[in-house]
Amino acid sequence: MPALAVTKRRAKKAPRAVSETAAPKIEVPTERTAEAPKKPTTLTLLDFFPQEESQQTRVSRFFTELRAGRFMTTRCPKDKKLLWPPRVTCPQCHAEELDWVELPQRGHLYAFSALLAGAPLGMEADLPITVGLVDLEGVPLRLFGRLVGAPWNEIRVGQRVRVEPFDLADGRVFYRFHVEG
Amino acid sequence: MTSVRPVAVVGGATTKFGVRQATWSELVQEAGARLFAAIPNLAASDVDSLFVGAAEPERFAFQSHVAPLAAELLGLEPHRIVQRTELACASGQSAIRSAYAAIAAGLADVAVALGVEKMNLPSMAEANTSMACVMDRPWDGAHGATAPPFFAMVAQRHMLEYGTTEDQLAAVSEKNHRFANSNPEAQFHEKSFSREKLLRLPLIAPPLRLGDCSSMTDGAAAVLLVSGELARKYTDTPAWIRGSGQHASWHNLANAGSLTDWTGMRIAAREALGSAGITASQLDFAELHDCFTISEIVEYEALGLCKPGEGGAYVTDGRSDLGGDVVVNPRGGLLGCGHPLGATGVAQAVEVYRQFAHTVPPARQVPDPEWALVHNLSGSANVHSMMVYARGG
Ligand SMILES: [Zn+2]
Repeated sequence: MPALAVTKRRAKKAPRAVSETAAPKIEVPTERTAEAPKKPTTLTLLDFFPQEESQQTRVSRFFTELRAGRFMTTRCPKDKKLLWPPRVTCPQCHAEELDWVELPQRGHLYAFSALLAGAPLGMEADLPITVGLVDLEGVPLRLFGRLVGAPWNEIRVGQRVRVEPFDLADGRVFYRFHVEG
Repeated sequence: MTSVRPVAVVGGATTKFGVRQATWSELVQEAGARLFAAIPNLAASDVDSLFVGAAEPERFAFQSHVAPLAAELLGLEPHRIVQRTELACASGQSAIRSAYAAIAAGLADVAVALGVEKMNLPSMAEANTSMACVMDRPWDGAHGATAPPFFAMVAQRHMLEYGTTEDQLAAVSEKNHRFANSNPEAQFHEKSFSREKLLRLPLIAPPLRLGDCSSMTDGAAAVLLVSGELARKYTDTPAWIRGSGQHASWHNLANAGSLTDWTGMRIAAREALGSAGITASQLDFAELHDCFTISEIVEYEALGLCKPGEGGAYVTDGRSDLGGDVVVNPRGGLLGCGHPLGATGVAQAVEVYRQFAHTVPPARQVPDPEWALVHNLSGSANVHSMMVYARGG
C-alpha cells in the first residue's frame, strides 16, 4: 500500500521536503524476465502504466505480443488506417472489428528533450528522463517514448532508435526506445 | 453569432498568486470575498448560476463535487446552473465560456465564473504526477510526458526549422516578468529578470530553462457575467464578449499535428476573430497562454500577428510590448503571474476588464484599448480556447 506509506512518512516531515523519500518505487530491471504479470503493486491513482491483463483491457494482446518481442497495433480493415495506441474501434469509420498488425521496430528521432528536474512519483530515480518523438520506419506513425542507451546531451535529431520492451517490477511489460550509436 | 443575447463581464477579482499558505477552499473564499468587494452593487441573491473552473481538485485537494462547495463558500444558492468545468490548463476559460453560453442562450442572467487551483503540495512529486495525467496517461504519461519536455521539443523544432534562439525565448520571459512587476497579485511581482540572468538559470528540459517555464502556483479568480440589459447595474465599463472559438482534434502525441504550426489555434482564431468581425491586427492587446516562452512565440504566428518563423523576432523587435503592434500579456502572463490551472483563464478576463476600465498601473496600461483577445491552450497544445472582448461604449 504505497500511498498509505506516503501519508505516514509525510506526517513526520516538514512540508515540501518529502519528494525523494516518499515515492513508491517502480523498479525497472534492465534484463527482461519471463515472469507472468502479478497484481500491480501501485495503486491506480499513482500508476502510470497501462492495465494489461485481459480482465482489465480489450487490447491485452499488445502486451502478450510485446513480451514475445513483437511490437503491434490495430489497423482498420476498411480504410487501412493504422491506429495508435491500440484501439477497439476505428475513430474514422467507427468499425468495431480491427486487425492486429506488426509494426517496424526501428525509427528515427524527430525531436527529443529530457526532464532534468521535477519528476513524477516513482520516476525520481530516472532523472534525467529523456523522451522523444520517433518516426517509425516505413509507416506513418510518430510515437512518443522514453529514450535510453545514451545521455540526452549526446543525442541528436535524426538519430536511429529501436523499440525495446522491458519489464516492470510487478511483471507487467512496457516499451521504450533504445538510441543506437 | 447574431442570434445570441449580448453578454458582458462586469467585474472581477483575483487572489494573490504564488506558493500560498492556504488550502483550496480558502483560496475560493478569498476570490469570492474580493469579487463582492470589487462589485459593490452585487448581491448574492442576484446570482442565478455558478461555474467553477478547476482542473484537478481530486488530485491536488482530494475533493470532488466542488461547485456546490464553492457555492457554499461564496454564500450563493444558484437556481439555474451550477457546475464545474474541466479542461486542464483552460479550465478557467471553460467556466467563462459556459457562463457566456448559458447567458447568451437565455438560460441564465447573472453568473459567477470562478477559477481555482491549489498546486503546491507537501510532496511536489505527487503534484508532478498529477500534471503527467493531463497527457494520455497510460501511453504517453507512462514514458514521463509532463509539459516541460513536450514544449522543449516544440522549441527544439522551432529552432531547427526557423533558427529561433535562446535569447529570443528569454526575451518573452523578460517582457512578461517586467509586466508582472506592476502586478502585485503576480507570483513573481518583486523579482526582476534580465535576459542575461534568464540565460544563466538552470536547464529544466533542454533547451528550456527555469525562466522559460511557468510555475506550479496556488490561486483563484472570479468574474461576474451578466446579460446585456443588466450590465449597467454593476459597472460603467462592461467588457463585452464579442467572439469565441475553440478547437480540439487529438490527444495522444502520436496523433499530433505540426509541433511548430499550431493549426488548431489558427482555426480557433478564425472562429473567434471572425465572430467578432475583426482581424488580429485590430487587437489592442492579447492575453496569450505563455505556459512556456516558446508557446508565446508560436502563438504570435498561429494568431497571424506575424509569419511562421518570425515569432522570435516579433518579441525582440518589441512588437508585442507596449508601443508595439499588439501588447501581449500585460498582466505578466503565466510566466510572471504563475499558472494555477483553473484560475489562469479567469485572471486573464479580470485583466481585460481592468484594462478596459483603466484601473491597472501605468506601467502596464495599454493606451485606450478597444479590442482584446484571451487565449488558453491546454495539454500539449492539442486544445485552443479563445474569446474576444470589446470595450463597452
Ligand atoms: Zn476505419
